[in-house]
Order: sequence, then structure tokens, then C-alpha cells
Amino acid sequence: MKTILILSTLLLFSGCIKEVKPWEKGVLAKETMKDGGTNSLGKKFEEHMYFSKEASKGGSGVAGGGCGCN
Amino acid sequence: MQLKLSIAAAALLISVASQAEDYVTFQYLQYNENDDRTAVSAPSIMINKDFGTDFTLNASFVYDAVSGASPTFNSAAGSMLDDYDDDDHDDDDDDDDDDDEYSSSGASSAASSGASAFARGTDLNATDVKFGNVKYDDKRVAGGLALTSRFANRDELTVGFNYSSEKDFYSKEASAEYMHWLDDSKNQSISLGLSYQFNEILVTCIENSNCDVDTKSGASQKMDASLINAQLSFSQNINSDSYAKIALFAIVEDGYLTNPYMNVVRNYNEITNTADIVSENRPDSKIAYGASIKYANALTNKVSLQLAYRYYIDDWGMDSNTLDSDIYYEYTSDWIFKFGLRGYIQSEADFYNAKKDYFTNEVYASSDQRMSGFSSITYKTDADYKISEQWSVNLSANFYTQSTGNNATYFMTGFRYNF
Repeated sequence: MKTILILSTLLLFSGCIKEVKPWEKGVLAKETMKDGGTNSLGKKFEEHMYFSKEASKGGSGVAGGGCGCN
Repeated sequence: MQLKLSIAAAALLISVASQAEDYVTFQYLQYNENDDRTAVSAPSIMINKDFGTDFTLNASFVYDAVSGASPTFNSAAGSMLDDYDDDDHDDDDDDDDDDDEYSSSGASSAASSGASAFARGTDLNATDVKFGNVKYDDKRVAGGLALTSRFANRDELTVGFNYSSEKDFYSKEASAEYMHWLDDSKNQSISLGLSYQFNEILVTCIENSNCDVDTKSGASQKMDASLINAQLSFSQNINSDSYAKIALFAIVEDGYLTNPYMNVVRNYNEITNTADIVSENRPDSKIAYGASIKYANALTNKVSLQLAYRYYIDDWGMDSNTLDSDIYYEYTSDWIFKFGLRGYIQSEADFYNAKKDYFTNEVYASSDQRMSGFSSITYKTDADYKISEQWSVNLSANFYTQSTGNNATYFMTGFRYNF
């Protein structure tokens, strides 16, 4: 938790942030930069697998649906 | 000046074009664990459609055919189990040569005879108590629908509904998320999301091994549980090549949180050579919270890196750390390769113990491996080939390994059609 807070603070107050104009957002809009990359359905499956095999969840959105995973 | 404007206009068009999100994607998933444990075959489909610039509809559907076995404590009397080789569980009788597994499906594995499929009971012969695989099969149908609306200031509201149905488990979930831009250039945003999930679980024979069950559904009791998930996140474009996202989340669960498939051994007595096998019992509430941070950076015009870290903690005494990394390599304009590595570690729950001579009259008790302390690593690869502007295909091969000895390989293949 401390690591997250430190990184967040550094990000918010660091001088490395610069305004990105609308016409400069082509790279940011690429699929390889998005959650799930080129395979958003595959990402959903992986999250489902981790949910059924591990005891932790959360942090990647609030929607997802339930499962009585054995 | 005119050239400059043309370049800017072209860049804007490219940006807008790359954000056009009308597509249908299909994936077929094949998942197999070692030791003949869980196997899943799952075709899934997702459709995303923009309606003008103000509305986007996303619909997804998946059909899971699940079969295999879950390891838990059982009475081996009657050749019901496969031995399970697991050092964490003190199954000290390794000379059992029974090779049948016990089959179960639905309503927490209700048997048509009404007897417990998991051979629960009291004063059992302690020699017969084993930790082994119990076969099961199930089919899961799940679907989701999400509508995103954009307002005049381009803030977004997404409302969604998810539904999931299994033989012995039904889940409904409603969710809403509001995203607000914090600056005019739309480089900073804050989002607040909230979901409510209601689950119904059909269980059988919680208290004893000879309870009456419904012969059709196999259930003797219908339990329920609810889940509320809240998340606050902040997203920041750092420059034209990178962005970061930070999220805080809290999850509150209430109701029947016990895994109806899992057993524990209580009152193991060496002198009388007897033991009880009963359903595990978990607390009926759980509060979890944590934080996550994600960072994405286009290192070059061909290589992108995505890094994510999550910290999780709950009031069952568990916490976990997850580090996930994906590197995308655009080999040509048609081929994109992904290589990923994920590391995970969790501590064990307060009420977890794997020994068969540990539990006596503790209220909460579980020997489910998912409640234990363990680590896992996932190795991920993916190849995506763009056939045309409309069509692309992909193949993904992955390996998941836990320190518990549970390993899995999973493959995904499918296509995407942009329309």
C-alpha cells in the first residue's frame, strides 16, 4: 500500500507530465496500450481464471459477474 | 501553415479512426490442469457497437463446459477417490491403490440417492480419510451487457448487467461507473464505480451425510450471498507515449461464502481411529480492500509495455501482491506478438489448515488450497495477425503454475471483425 501511495504521489507531482494535445493521442489509442491489449476477451478469461484459483480480487473495475467456481 | 494543419488534421483522423470500436470478436478457450483436475472448454463472443459518438453498447456471452476434479478431504471407503499427491496435506496412507474417482455434478455434488456425494459423516474410519480428487462436471452460461453514454462535456456513464448460471449457482450483477474529465485537454480523469452482485447457491447436506435432497436439482438448501464492489480510480496521460492509472477498491461480501464442495476433517482421534468429515465453514462476511496501479508506455513505435501492480488485504487474514507485465511487439503492420509474465503471492486465511488432525470445534475451518498461502507465476504468449482492415486472427498459449503443485495450460484462438 505504501508503494502505491508513493508512486501515486510521484506521478501526480512529478514534472514529467506534459499536456498531450488531441492530435498527439494516436499512440495512446493503440490497442497495444489498452487494457487487454489485442485480446480483450482473453483478458476477461484470465481474470476469471485468477478469480477461481486465487483468493484475491478487485482493482480492475467493478463489473465482471459472479461464478461458483469449484 | 497549410501543411501543418493538414498534418494535424490527418493525425486527428487517425486518432479518431483508431478509436472506432465497432467490432465482433470470438474466442475459443481450452484450459487444462494437471492431475486430471479442472478442464474447461469455453467459446465466447463479444460485440461492441457505437451509436453515433454518444453511445456505445457492449455485449458478451460465454459458455463454459467444465469437467475434472477438485481436491478435498473425503472418506476413501468404497473406492471413491483418487489419491492426491500433495505434501501440504497429511494424507499419510500412500498405499491406497483405489483408482476410481467419485463423480458429482450440480447442487454441490448431490447424489441421486440422497447420500452425500462427498462422503461426509461422523465417526468414520480414520484410516479411510484421504485428501483426493472428487470428480465433477458443470456447465456455465454467462452474459453481460454494458451501455456507455457520453455527455456534452464528454464525461461517461456506463451501466451494466451481468448474469451467470450454473447447475448449482446463479449470479446477477448490476454495475454503474461514472468517468469525469478533470481537464479541458482530456488527459486527466477520475472514475467512480459501484456494483452489486446477488448470488444463489444450491447446496446439499451441510449438516450431515443423510439429509433429504430434491431429486431433480439435488439441492437440500438454497443459500445466498451478496457482494458490493466500489472502486475509485484516477487516470493520467503522462505524455503522448505513456499513461498511468491508480485505483482504490473495496469489496464487501455477505452471506454464504463457504465453498460447498470443500470438506474438512474434525475430531480426528488416533485412539479410537475415528474422524468426522464435514463441510468447511467460512465466516459469513468479508471486507476486502486494496489499491492498484497501472503504467503503459510505448517504448518505441513497435514496442509497448504494460505494467500493473495490485495490493489486496481482507479481514480473513489474507493479503496478496500481484505484479503483471505485458510487452507487445509490432513485428510488422500485420503481426503483433505479446509476451507476458505475472507473479502473485498470497498469505493464508486465519481459519485455514491442511492437516486432518487439526480441527476440533473451531467455528471456522477450511482446508481449501485457495485459502492457503501460496505463490503463482503465469507465462503468457500471444500472436495476432491482421488479415485485412476488417479481419484479424489470434493464437495464445499460456502456462500457469502454483506453488501448491497445481499447474494449468490454456490456449485461446479466435478472430476479430471490425465493421
